[in-house]
Amino acid sequence: MSTTIPVNDISTGQLSKSELAAWNTLQKVSFRFAFSFVLLLAIPLDWHYYQKVFSIDWGNLYYGDIFTLARYFPGFLTGTESFADLFFVAGIAGIATLVWSALDKDRLDYRTLYYWLRVSARYRLAAGVIAYAWLKIFLLQSPAPVLSELNTQYGEFTHWKLFSLSLGAAPVYEQFLGWVELTAGILLLHRKTAIIGAAILFAFLGNIFLSNLAYEGGEYVYSSYLIIFVLIILFYDAGRIISLLSLEKPTVPNLFHPVFSPVVAKLRWVLKGAFVLVFVVLYGFKVSAGAKENPHNIPVAKGLPGISGVYDVRDFVLNGDTIPYDPLHPVRWQQVVFEEWATVSIRSNREVVLFEQKTEIVNGADRKKLYDVSGVIRRHFYWYDWDQGSNVLKLANKNPNHSEDVFELIYTRPDDHTILVEGRISGNQQIKARLERIDKKYLFKEGRRTPQTL
Amino acid sequence: MAQNEYAQAQTAQSRAWSAGEKYLFRTAFIFFIICCIPLNIEWYKTALGINIFDLHYRDLYDIARFNPSFVRKWFDIKVDRWGFQAFIDWLFILGFALVAATFWSVLDRGRKEYNQLYYWLRVIVRYRAAVGIIAFGFTKFFPTQMPYPSESLLNNNFGDLTGHKIFWLSISIVPWFQVFTGVAEILAGTLLFFRRTTFIGAALLVGTLGTIMVVNLAYDGGVHVYAGYFVLLGTFLMVYDFRNLYRLFIQEKFTVPVHYYPALDKPWQKYGRLVLKTAVIVIFLPVLFYYQGINFLYDPYKQPAVSGIRELRGFYNVTEFKINGRELPYSPLDTVRWQEVIFEKWTSMSYKVNKPVSLDLSNGGGDPMRDIDRTFEVSGVAGGRRVFHYQADTVHHILYLRDKNTASIRGAKAAFEEGAGKQKQKPEDNWIPETSLRYIKDEATAIHPLAISDRRIKEYKRLGEEDYLRPKMKLQYSTQDGNRVILTGYNEYNETLYIVLDKVDRKYAVSESSLSAGRYD
Repeated sequence: MSTTIPVNDISTGQLSKSELAAWNTLQKVSFRFAFSFVLLLAIPLDWHYYQKVFSIDWGNLYYGDIFTLARYFPGFLTGTESFADLFFVAGIAGIATLVWSALDKDRLDYRTLYYWLRVSARYRLAAGVIAYAWLKIFLLQSPAPVLSELNTQYGEFTHWKLFSLSLGAAPVYEQFLGWVELTAGILLLHRKTAIIGAAILFAFLGNIFLSNLAYEGGEYVYSSYLIIFVLIILFYDAGRIISLLSLEKPTVPNLFHPVFSPVVAKLRWVLKGAFVLVFVVLYGFKVSAGAKENPHNIPVAKGLPGISGVYDVRDFVLNGDTIPYDPLHPVRWQQVVFEEWATVSIRSNREVVLFEQKTEIVNGADRKKLYDVSGVIRRHFYWYDWDQGSNVLKLANKNPNHSEDVFELIYTRPDDHTILVEGRISGNQQIKARLERIDKKYLFKEGRRTPQTL
Repeated sequence: MAQNEYAQAQTAQSRAWSAGEKYLFRTAFIFFIICCIPLNIEWYKTALGINIFDLHYRDLYDIARFNPSFVRKWFDIKVDRWGFQAFIDWLFILGFALVAATFWSVLDRGRKEYNQLYYWLRVIVRYRAAVGIIAFGFTKFFPTQMPYPSESLLNNNFGDLTGHKIFWLSISIVPWFQVFTGVAEILAGTLLFFRRTTFIGAALLVGTLGTIMVVNLAYDGGVHVYAGYFVLLGTFLMVYDFRNLYRLFIQEKFTVPVHYYPALDKPWQKYGRLVLKTAVIVIFLPVLFYYQGINFLYDPYKQPAVSGIRELRGFYNVTEFKINGRELPYSPLDTVRWQEVIFEKWTSMSYKVNKPVSLDLSNGGGDPMRDIDRTFEVSGVAGGRRVFHYQADTVHHILYLRDKNTASIRGAKAAFEEGAGKQKQKPEDNWIPETSLRYIKDEATAIHPLAISDRRIKEYKRLGEEDYLRPKMKLQYSTQDGNRVILTGYNEYNETLYIVLDKVDRKYAVSESSLSAGRYD
C-alpha cells in the first residue's frame, strides 16, 4: 500500500490571482441584480410596516413590538405576504439593474459592495430568526396544550394546529429549536462564523418552509423570504467548501478584508452593539418578562376562583324540555371546560365555522389572543367577564366567524364541583344546565415510563 | 511567495502525530470498531437465516439495525431505557477503549502516525452509518414508519395520548413531509458511500439524527440511543475535516488538503473494492427500494394489511345497547355501555367506553407480520378506546374478535408461563367452529402475492400464548344498507349483547393526504 497526495496543477499564484481579478460582465450584472434585490428586501421601505412601527407605545414596550420590528416583509403589492410581492421586488431590482449597468460601465468589480450586501443579508436574517428564537426558548410560540385542547379529539384540529400543539407538548424540543435558532442568529453577527450560521439556517429554515407547506401553515412566504438571505451568505463560500471538501484541491481563503475609515469603524461598533443590545439582550429580557406576565398566546385575565376543570353536562334543559345525554343532539352541550383564565369552552354539535390563524401574531391584549380558538372544530371558545358582586357571566365567542355569539349566564355554585347555569344562548334559546366536574387523569401527563391503567 | 505558502501549508498539514493524538486515535479506533461491528450472535443468526430468494424488506432492515448494547445483558444493574442513563453502553465502551488504548500505546511505541488505519476506520464508520440510515430512511421515504392515523385515533382526545404518540402522529398526518425526511436520510447515507461527499453526508446525518435524538428525549420516544449512535458516527466523520475548515474559514489561510488514500492497485484489491462497494450500494438502494415499495403498497408494516368488510366501514353512533337483555341509555360516564363504534378499512373494530384498562405503552412498531399484532392504533392511547381485530365469516355474518391490547392480559400471561413448565397446555386454537372457519379467509395469503413471503407464512403459523388469553367476542352482524348495523352475540365476559349502530358522517378538521399506504379495496 502506498499513499498519494493529490496536488492540483493550478499554481496557487494563479488561484490567488483569480481571487483578485476583475469581474466579467455576467458577474457584474448578476451582482447588480442581487444587490438591488436583497437591499429592496432587507431595508424596510414598505409603508405598511411603518403603520405598525408608529403604533408602538415606546414608553410601555411589549416584546411583541420588537417582534413586529424584526418581522418585516416587503408586502408592497398585496400588503400581506405573498410570492407576488417577492416577484414584484425582483421586477424592480431588474429595472434597477438595467439603469445601473448603463450608468456604471467602467467598474472592475464590486467586492466592497459585495461585502456590504452580505452584511445586510446577515443582519436582516439574524433579526428575523432571533425574533422567533426567544419565543421558542420561553415556550411562547407554542404554549403547552391547555385543558380544552387536552379534551379535544385529534381529528378535530387542523394540521397547522396539530403541528403547534405537538411542539407545545414537548417543551424540551421547543427550547432546543429556539437555542439552535438563537445560536445560528448570533453566528451570523460575526463575518467569519456567518457561514456556519447560514449552513444551520439553510437546514432549519428549509425545514420550516416545508413544514408550512405540509401542515398548511401561513409562513411559507416569509420563510422563503428569509431563505433568500441564507443563500446569499452561503453562495459566497460555496465554491471554497466544494473545492476543499469535495474536489480536495488547495483552496484560497477569502481575501477581501473591509477597510473602514475611522468614522465608519466607530459607527460599525456602535451599530453592532445596538443590534445585539436590542435584539439579543433587550428583546430576550422582554420576552422572559412577558412569559411570566403576559404571554401572547394565553389570556391573563383571571377566571372565577377555583373553577378551572372539565365538566360533564349532567342535566340540560332547552326551552323547558329536559334533553337527556345525546351525542348527536344539535344544541345540547356535551362538555364544558373552564380554564384557569377567563375562558370557557363548550363542546356541542352546533357548527363551528373554522377560524384559522396561521401566522405568528404577537399581541398582548387578551381579546386579540386567538391561539386557542384557531384551527379547531366542535368546540366553541368564549371570553367571559365576571365580577365579585354579581353572579352573571358575560360570554363572548372568540371565533371572529361567530362574533355575534354573545350572551349572559347566571351561575350558582352549590358546591365546589357543581355549577348551575341559566341563560338565553344564541338562537334565542333558553337553557338551564347542571355541570359536574370530572376528575380526569391524562396519559399525556402521566407518561409512559410506568404501567398505566386509564 | 505563493510557492512558499503552498509548501508551508502542506507541511503544516502532513506532519507526524503527537503522542496525545496517537492515544486519542487508538481510543477512537477501538471505540468505533466496537460500535460498528455486530457483536451479538443473534445478528449473525438473523443474517444467515435470510432466504435471499424470498426477501422481505425487514430482512435487510434487521441486518442494518444494530448498535452496541451489552451492559444490560452482562451486568445485573437496573438501567432504564429513558433519558440519558440509556447511553450507559457508550460509557462502558469508552472506558474499555481508554484502557485498551493504553496497552496498545505501550506495545506500539515506535509508530509515527496512523494515517492508513484512520482511512480504514473511516471507511468502516462510513459504511456502517450509511447502511443504517438508509434502512431507517426508507421506512419514511415510503411513509410507513408513521402510518396515517386510523379513524379511531382521530376520535381520541389529544390529552389521552402519550407524548411519543403525539409526535409520531404529527408526522403521520403529513405523509409527503415524511417522504421528505426519508429523502434527507437516504441522501445522507448515499453521500457517505463516497469519500468526496462524506463531509456533507455526515453533516446532514448529524443534523437530521440530532433532531431525532432530541425529539426522542423530549417526547419519550425511546429511540434516542439509536439516533444518537448516528450522531456519534457522523460527528466522528466530520472531525476529520475540522482542522482544514478552521484553517480556511476562521484563520483565513491558504489550505492544502492532504489525504491519505491507499493505492489499491493489485487486481484483487481493485476488483474486490469494486465488487464490495457495488454490492452494498445495490442491496441498500435499488433492492431495498423495491422491497420497501412493496411493503408500502400492499403490507404497510405498522398497520393491518388485510382489508376489512367493506359494507361495515365507518363511524357509528351506538343508538341502542342491551347487555344480558337490559337496555342501557347513552351516558359518557357509564362504565359498561359502548359509546361509539368504528370499523376501520382494515380488520379492526373499536368502541369507546368509560372504563379504565391497562394500556399498551409500546411504540406500536417492531416487525409483526400478523395484523392482530400491528398495534399502532392501540399503543400509547388511553380514553377508554378498545380495539379488536376481527376474522369474519362473511357467509354467516359472524365476526370473531380478539383484543389487540395485550397489556391487559400480561398478568394472565405471566401466570400461564409459570404453569406452562409443569404441564403444556394445548393452545385453544379452535374457538372458531369449523362451520365458520371454512369461510374465513386465510390472512397470511389475503394480501397481494408480491407481498407474501416466507417470513409472513412462518409467522402466521405461530400461535402466541397471548392469543388464547386475549379477550374474545363473537358478534353476528346484519345490515340492510350499511347505515344501520345490528350486532348480536357475546362479549369477553360471555354476556349477551344487542347493539344497534347508526352510521354518522363524521367530519374532521385534519385533512386527508393524497398519499396512503396499503390496499383496501
